[in-house]
Amino acid sequence: MAFAIKFAPLTVEELPALAAAKKADGWRFVQMLCVNTEDGIDMIYSFMKDDLLENHEIKGVQKGTAIPSITGEFLEAFVFENESHDLFGVDITDIAIDFGGNFYALAQKEPMTVISPEQQAAREKAKKLAAAKAAKEKAAGEQAPKTADDAAALEAKLAGMDPVKAAKVRAAMEAKAKKEAAAKQAAVDEKVAGLDPEKAAKVKAALEAKAAREAAKKKAAEAEADEAGAAAEEEGE
Amino acid sequence: MGKATVIPFGPQHPVLPEPLHLDLVVEDETVIEAIPQIGFIHRGLEKLVETRDYNQFIYVAERICGICAFGHSMGYAETVERLMGVQIPERAEYLRVIWHELSRIHSHVLWMGLAADAFGFESLFMHCWRLRERVLDIFEKTTGGRVIFSVVQVGGVVRDIDDAQLAEMKRVLEGIKDDYRQICNAFLKDSSVKNRTVGVGCISHEDALAMSMVGPFARASNVNNDARCLGNGGYGKLADFQPVLDAQGDCYARVKVRALEVLQSIDIIEEMISKIPAGDIAVPVKGAPAAGAETANLVEQPRGECYYYARGNGSKFLERMRMRTPTSQNLAGMATALAGCDLADVNMIVLTIDPCISCTER
Repeated sequence: MAFAIKFAPLTVEELPALAAAKKADGWRFVQMLCVNTEDGIDMIYSFMKDDLLENHEIKGVQKGTAIPSITGEFLEAFVFENESHDLFGVDITDIAIDFGGNFYALAQKEPMTVISPEQQAAREKAKKLAAAKAAKEKAAGEQAPKTADDAAALEAKLAGMDPVKAAKVRAAMEAKAKKEAAAKQAAVDEKVAGLDPEKAAKVKAALEAKAAREAAKKKAAEAEADEAGAAAEEEGE
Repeated sequence: MGKATVIPFGPQHPVLPEPLHLDLVVEDETVIEAIPQIGFIHRGLEKLVETRDYNQFIYVAERICGICAFGHSMGYAETVERLMGVQIPERAEYLRVIWHELSRIHSHVLWMGLAADAFGFESLFMHCWRLRERVLDIFEKTTGGRVIFSVVQVGGVVRDIDDAQLAEMKRVLEGIKDDYRQICNAFLKDSSVKNRTVGVGCISHEDALAMSMVGPFARASNVNNDARCLGNGGYGKLADFQPVLDAQGDCYARVKVRALEVLQSIDIIEEMISKIPAGDIAVPVKGAPAAGAETANLVEQPRGECYYYARGNGSKFLERMRMRTPTSQNLAGMATALAGCDLADVNMIVLTIDPCISCTER
């Protein structure tokens, strides 16, 4: 048997027909769960037949939306429907064994809908990380071809120059790059000097590691380019 | 027929180690209807996933239940690994199966002791629990714990079992098997056991299917449902696996299925020991589950199939973790089994579904 999991969208209106069809077709009810999201409650109904586990998902159920019970087809769902009502405040109608909100003895009403500060922080951090990643990818996508084009154009220009002049231009450019790197390093040192020594040591170590990684990456790229050039030469011969 | 009366059963009752309440509607000595209720000890463990990252939550998962501790940590880890696309080393898969099957042995033998105690066979109860101690000794030697083991991590396991320990485990299990056969004979052949269990609390194959029952409770009604057949993890390496089934659907069949599953688990462990490959026991897992990524998983716990669901939110904290335990799935079946039984058999029937309320009220 090869275990397979499938997720499929579902609407509230489709739920009774789905439950009836699954029952008629010999599927078994596995579970029902809720997920509290910013857009409402997501409800997932799982059914299984042979080796296929199907999860049908109703997205963003709003407070007050009546959800029909499936206990007419699957009596065992009464546990999950009462649980969803007590923990998430989902309004499920016509449950075969309805505890009317007294299924769980809880200190707080609908506790699973409370967004804890930790959860809020995790969500915001994840959002920020996703936004930063997207911005970085976008910037890399725009900048990479430009830098490559600039470098190629400069090389072509230098190739057409008098060799002595070209060497001078290259030396001037290298000096400029070094000056810029030194200015950048000085700015970082100044920033680090204002930090707690322990934190400063950590930041320095992280920066050095980053520099080492970038150098290794550059070296590898150069080696790869050399190899590609050699291969191209061999092919040409 | 007499007048219908409602008798409350539990949540505190000598036969129940955990709080489960039943409203028993009886006429004379016959139960007409049973309405189960739980909810006395809801702990909100699923909510804790918001404040514990996916590595820390493994220690919460294994505290859901003292009997299925290993199974829950394994099920949780497998779900997170599936969510993050992590493939664990083969040796870790074998080790997980070995510990999981040992958990099944100790769970079933513990239950058999409780059942013996419930029908008044005290010496059998003591024999069962004495035997179980030897399984717990194996746990202690290989994990350092007897109840909570903390050997599973996302990406594999944290402890290896060396060849000498595996050989010792095989030797101990051989000894356990010999002693267990005598206990098994008492359960399956003794007339006093049969008097309390044969023909009691019957569930037909059709009813078991209709109630989506799981675990030994379902398999005793000839429902061929065992998540180990799905071949997840190390279970896919078994040469041949056939669930233990019985067609009678009564309390005796449920005793029989569990009794035979203990021997089956010993065979599985022996096969795993003979086949276990050398190699790493874990892979490093970095990063976090993607925002909105979701997956599900099924694990055959000693009491039956357990469903796990996880959803990521891009951080190290999961957005949602869900465990649907076998007892919540079997409550409807239990109510069906109780309808029409004698009042004196209620405790026996409730016990034979092996309810675990701490699993159910995570």
